[in-house]
Amino acid sequence: MTTDVVIRTHALVKDYGRTRALAGLDLEVRRGEIFGFIGPNGAGKSTTIRVLLDLLRPTAGRAEVLGQDPRAGGAALRARIGYLPGELALKGRQTAGSLLQTLARLRGGAGAKRIRPLAERFGLDLERPIRGLSKGNKQKVGVVQAFMHEPELLILDEPTSGLDPLLQREFLELVLEARARGATVFMSSHVLSEVEDVAARVGIIRQGQMVDVDDVATLRHHAGQLITLTFAEPVGPEAFAALPAVENLSLEGCTLRCLLHGEPDALLKAAARHHVVAWSAENRELEDLFLDYYRVPPEELDSAAEEASAHAR
Amino acid sequence: MLADRLPVLSSLLRERRRSLVLWAIALAAINATYVAFWPAMGAGEEMQALVENMPEGLVQALGYDAIGTPTGYLESTVFGLLAPALLLVFAIGAGARLLAGEEEDGTLELELAHPIARRRVVAERLGTLVVTVVALVAVTTAVVLALVAAVDMDVAASAIVATAAGLLLLVLGFGLVAFGLGALTGRHGVALGVAGGLAVLAYVTDALAALVDWGRWLEAFSPFSWYLGPDPLTTGWHAGSLAALAAISVVAALVALVAFDRRDVGV
Ligand SMILES: Nc1ncnc2c1ncn2[C@@H]1O[C@H](COP(=O)(O)OP(=O)(O)OP(=O)(O)O)[C@@H](O)[C@H]1O
Ligand SMILES: [Mg+2]
Repeated sequence: MTTDVVIRTHALVKDYGRTRALAGLDLEVRRGEIFGFIGPNGAGKSTTIRVLLDLLRPTAGRAEVLGQDPRAGGAALRARIGYLPGELALKGRQTAGSLLQTLARLRGGAGAKRIRPLAERFGLDLERPIRGLSKGNKQKVGVVQAFMHEPELLILDEPTSGLDPLLQREFLELVLEARARGATVFMSSHVLSEVEDVAARVGIIRQGQMVDVDDVATLRHHAGQLITLTFAEPVGPEAFAALPAVENLSLEGCTLRCLLHGEPDALLKAAARHHVVAWSAENRELEDLFLDYYRVPPEELDSAAEEASAHAR
Repeated sequence: MLADRLPVLSSLLRERRRSLVLWAIALAAINATYVAFWPAMGAGEEMQALVENMPEGLVQALGYDAIGTPTGYLESTVFGLLAPALLLVFAIGAGARLLAGEEEDGTLELELAHPIARRRVVAERLGTLVVTVVALVAVTTAVVLALVAAVDMDVAASAIVATAAGLLLLVLGFGLVAFGLGALTGRHGVALGVAGGLAVLAYVTDALAALVDWGRWLEAFSPFSWYLGPDPLTTGWHAGSLAALAAISVVAALVALVAFDRRDVGV
């Protein structure tokens, strides 16, 4: 296996009793990249991540982190990872500072020196008791402990939840700095917009399977453009229906609307045969594309899931 | 430094020192009060009269048949009832919370994602239980020894220490059963409920054994009988029954170490 792959899962299956959370997940995250792991509620993001941290053991299939099986890699492997849980639970009388010191001690002291500067950067008061902290302030504690020892791999489960927009930006800044020093970042989110500015690649997970992995640039291309053409008089759909790169065609009176993926050439030439009075081409938000994936009818994915589970057995 | 060598244990002790001190004070105060009442109660005639008027079965079940003697009084009040009851509440509660409780409320997640082996986490948390239970039993024993001397009760100090050793192993055993059940299932409620239920069952079985003809046979099943059956306050050390009590802790600890390493956490 190449050392350039930092996280790899192959046909990963995870069942909770009778619920299949992961149904043959294939994933590859390369060294030095920021990878966005996107999916709706219950898609299996946290399950995948918790397998990578050896908190869960796979039902079938393989997972590899930094070239090692998470369980076999054990404590030594986790020393190289920074993890921010999706549901961060922090309790107790002790102060945020003392909790962070304890966590640093679990790393043999690694990162203790960065606690203060990181806390200052995020406006976290280290003297406050944990149990009095707001959700956002607890999340800051989570961010500090994940980044403080400058790990070579960061695994972040919905890292920006609970942070206000200003702190979200500060957080993305921190992610970019981590990449600049050579770290790999694997972060999950519900929404593409949260990661698209920093991530080079994103993977989309739904019902325990990857439905797409792509460069953000390619995704933008796939997202396509919304085209609106207004003609001087009503036109028939025949001339436009079969055009390459044109989808979701609709004609209402003199107005044609469609979704364009790729070159507009054929569409423009077809339109030029009529009198065009107005036109607009609007770049679709990536979010819309993402919603397309959310809307894939479950049956289609189910057959794919069965295939994968048969594969796993 | 302890904090560097045993980071989990030391932070748990720091976190719980306040409640530990309160427990120690409560245990010391309650047990001391009972011993201090010996001259007025146990040695007095009113107590004898009261016991004589009680139904014989009840007297035996409660172990009050010898309440007029120093060892009998100490057994009926401190070692047979108050100390084990309070200490069991503490040990079972702590045992269930130290692993399953913190797993269930999610606070264990971060710790386990750190570079520390799961077995090590189990061992340090188990160690925390042992240290705190030993401390509370030691406080209780010290207070009883001091008060017994103060009110001039005729009980050998070495016999009190031998009984306290049995008490420690009994309480630790049930605490570790709660801990082990938590390690096995990850369910705080299961650990608490089953271990607490077993402790009550052991007490009731021991009390029943004093009443029925086949009681000797019943006693074999109750750790409570292993603890006070050989009458350590009079007869001192009994290696066999102490070993039987210790076996509970050893088995439960091994189960915890093995089971927690093998399963999913926080599901
Ligand atoms: N402990 C559990 N027991 C049973 N089912 C579970 C458990 N945890 C998760 N699941 C199920 O597994 C599936 C995947 O859950 P997971 O938490 O991995 O999703 P997620 O992508 O992280 O969702 P979210 O965005 O809401 O955090 C869901 O259907 C969920 O209901
Ligand atoms: Mg999640």
